[in-house]
Amino acid sequence: MRAYVATRLAAAVFVVVGVSLVSFLLTFLSGDPAEIMLPPGATAEQIARFRAEWGFDDPLPVQYWRFLRRAVHGDFGVSLRHGQPSLPLIAARLPATFQLTVTAMVLAIVVAVPLGVLAATHRGGPIDLAAMGVALLGQSVPNFWLAIMMILVFAVSWRILPTSGRGGPLHVVMPALAIAINLMALLTRLVRSTMIEVLAEDYVRTGRAKGLREVMVTARHALPNALIPLVTVIGLQFGFILGGAVVIETIFTWPGVGLFTIQAILNRDYPVVQAAVFILATGVVIINLIVDLLYVWLDPRIRVR
Amino acid sequence: MRFEREIRNVIGRRIRTLGILVAAATLTLGVPVVEAAPSGEVKIGLAAEPNTFDPHLTVGRNTQIFVVNVYDGLTARDAQGHLVPALAESWKRLNPTTWQFALRRGVKFHNGDDFNADSVKFTLDRAINPETKATIGSELSTIAGTEIVDPYTVNVITKGPDYLLPVRLGELFGLMLSPKHTAAVGKEGIAIKPNGTGPFKLVAWTKNEQLVLEANEQYWRGAPKVKRIVVRPILEDAARIAALQTGEVDLIAPVPHARIAELQRNNRLVIKTIPAPRIFHVTIDVRKPPFDNVKVRQALNHALDVNAIVKTLYFGHATRLATVVDRGALGYDASIPPYPYDPARAKALLAEAGFPNGFETEFDSFTGSIADHAKPAEAIAGYLRKIGVNVKQNVFEFSAFGPRRVQNKTAPLFIYSIGNAYLEPSWVIRWLTQGGLGMHYKNARLDEMLTRIEATDDPKKRAPLYGDVQKLIKDEAPFIFLFQADAVFGMSTRIDYAPRPDETQWLYPLALRP
Repeated sequence: MRAYVATRLAAAVFVVVGVSLVSFLLTFLSGDPAEIMLPPGATAEQIARFRAEWGFDDPLPVQYWRFLRRAVHGDFGVSLRHGQPSLPLIAARLPATFQLTVTAMVLAIVVAVPLGVLAATHRGGPIDLAAMGVALLGQSVPNFWLAIMMILVFAVSWRILPTSGRGGPLHVVMPALAIAINLMALLTRLVRSTMIEVLAEDYVRTGRAKGLREVMVTARHALPNALIPLVTVIGLQFGFILGGAVVIETIFTWPGVGLFTIQAILNRDYPVVQAAVFILATGVVIINLIVDLLYVWLDPRIRVR
Repeated sequence: MRFEREIRNVIGRRIRTLGILVAAATLTLGVPVVEAAPSGEVKIGLAAEPNTFDPHLTVGRNTQIFVVNVYDGLTARDAQGHLVPALAESWKRLNPTTWQFALRRGVKFHNGDDFNADSVKFTLDRAINPETKATIGSELSTIAGTEIVDPYTVNVITKGPDYLLPVRLGELFGLMLSPKHTAAVGKEGIAIKPNGTGPFKLVAWTKNEQLVLEANEQYWRGAPKVKRIVVRPILEDAARIAALQTGEVDLIAPVPHARIAELQRNNRLVIKTIPAPRIFHVTIDVRKPPFDNVKVRQALNHALDVNAIVKTLYFGHATRLATVVDRGALGYDASIPPYPYDPARAKALLAEAGFPNGFETEFDSFTGSIADHAKPAEAIAGYLRKIGVNVKQNVFEFSAFGPRRVQNKTAPLFIYSIGNAYLEPSWVIRWLTQGGLGMHYKNARLDEMLTRIEATDDPKKRAPLYGDVQKLIKDEAPFIFLFQADAVFGMSTRIDYAPRPDETQWLYPLALRP
């Protein structure tokens, strides 16, 4: 077990370095930041001088080597735009990102699991129909549209939630809902289909035959076996939302890593982009590791080799 | 403990006595006395927040128009946009390359440091020092050095004659730093811990969340009226407007033009618009045929119904311009009419130029800059096709378009807008005719006219000289002339605020209504 975790962590180092190299090349290929950072009045010579001062005119391998050498010491350089060390800038945004991601996840799971189970156990009935209707709606509604509608209804008309920003616990409700709704729909359908499969298994029939109550059959025997694909999807989605909630973070000006990173990308603020990629890639790798370990815990038949 | 308290009481009493004495002295000397202490709180929602409070490393107009609230320049603008004294009480050009500034006495930085000639020399030396890697270096690149004449007089030496220097040392690029504080907190510190002489102190800042300004009660113009200002970045237009509607914030900028009419119907809100000095135009690559033919360029100008664009895309909240000189700029000549919309004349001009059936070309536009360029570009392309100029449109992300422009890789036509930061046409026209960075029009006569204007220090004498410049540019048509859009502010009836004509978000006059 310990050896397994160690190997996975060692592999993670390669993943993170690989991702950083790709993102480094991609951001550089799309141009350097001189034109964006200087006022429009800057002349060609001034732009050239600025580029030389910052070392943007060095060959790419030289720049990447310079970056790597510092990154090894945890120094991702000073943000071009903010004039502050970039790693702490990104780290300061992590609590907001976690708050949003975890709230959205919890919301989605708390609704999706019971709804999916109910739909499966009442297959073809009105509950199933209603649940699938909700899921269809949740998957097809664009979340940016939903976000703006929620602002108009909950904040402007009813005045029960703040319009945007981060502050008290109420601030997270709308952005979390906007993110949760797609995920909830996806998870409901997943839970329903795997539950239907599991409910048709022999051991479920055996359970019923020996007189177990239906609740016990569903909750104790069927559900745990339906959870494994769910954990996989949740793990993947968690990683995705960590860095990918950009649209929702922008609409609500939620001060998370996603929003900060997209601003950095648009401004060619390489040190911040690199620090963000490093943190997000590490985060995703760790979450995947946790998911793999969860399998073992959920299904004793899976063994770590 | 008790001893300390007693000492403090004694000092307190002495300070109070001193205060009374100073107040009495000011009254007898007839100097205006600050009316009331700052009070209350105002919340503001802006589309962007500053990238830094280091005035030499600001990026983008959104930052430059805001950081002035904690600093002062040597010069400033009044509510009408006229250049007025600030930290310099007066200035004059001693010889072609030397400007002398007489500094205001008794001004203190937020931390109590004195403002004097040392501060000016330190600030300008820092701005032009390559180690600073100043982003605004281009705006101060004419400065060769600064000499202290006495503690309240400085000479700024320029590399060549620079008529614009007093404007450069204003609120966008001439903000003054305290030498001691800047050395103490270092480059990374000054970005988040500014120490200016301005009307507000920055007391808290969490990026992407909010920044808090507090009134500088010792401000040399008199204390601001509002005690505390909370600024929140609210990126999404709909969310920003919602925050104003619900009373979460009292002032927002910008408001999209499409929403003005709706918000004006709300009697708890006030919408104020002001023409912003941002000049929209389409740059024509005059080097490339058929655009080297002036008739073709004039035809393009006749092809566009700019009034219709102003009406439909800006809901009337924009001003048609005859050239690239905006209405608020020095020497704007209202007697020069814009090219009228006349597609028949446009086609005739094309035929005269040898293109009776039009021609094909490309037209670049972009999204994601400070203003919307994509929608007007769409309309323009439609009008051009109507006279037979079949344009292939390329739409870029602004950060991808910038490098293309700098490397002269744009299409023969591209839409752009330039903020007339100095409210001085010559600055804009020089930039637009620099012969590089995507702008290739050159004209010796124009150059000569501008040189004569730039040798004239007195703005009043300079202004009338711009009439001929505008006529020449209009006839030569190196651009498709468009419009300047209004800057739009939304506010609650709780506050009183008048936006300034130079885009600066100057919060000093902001007040709560009784």
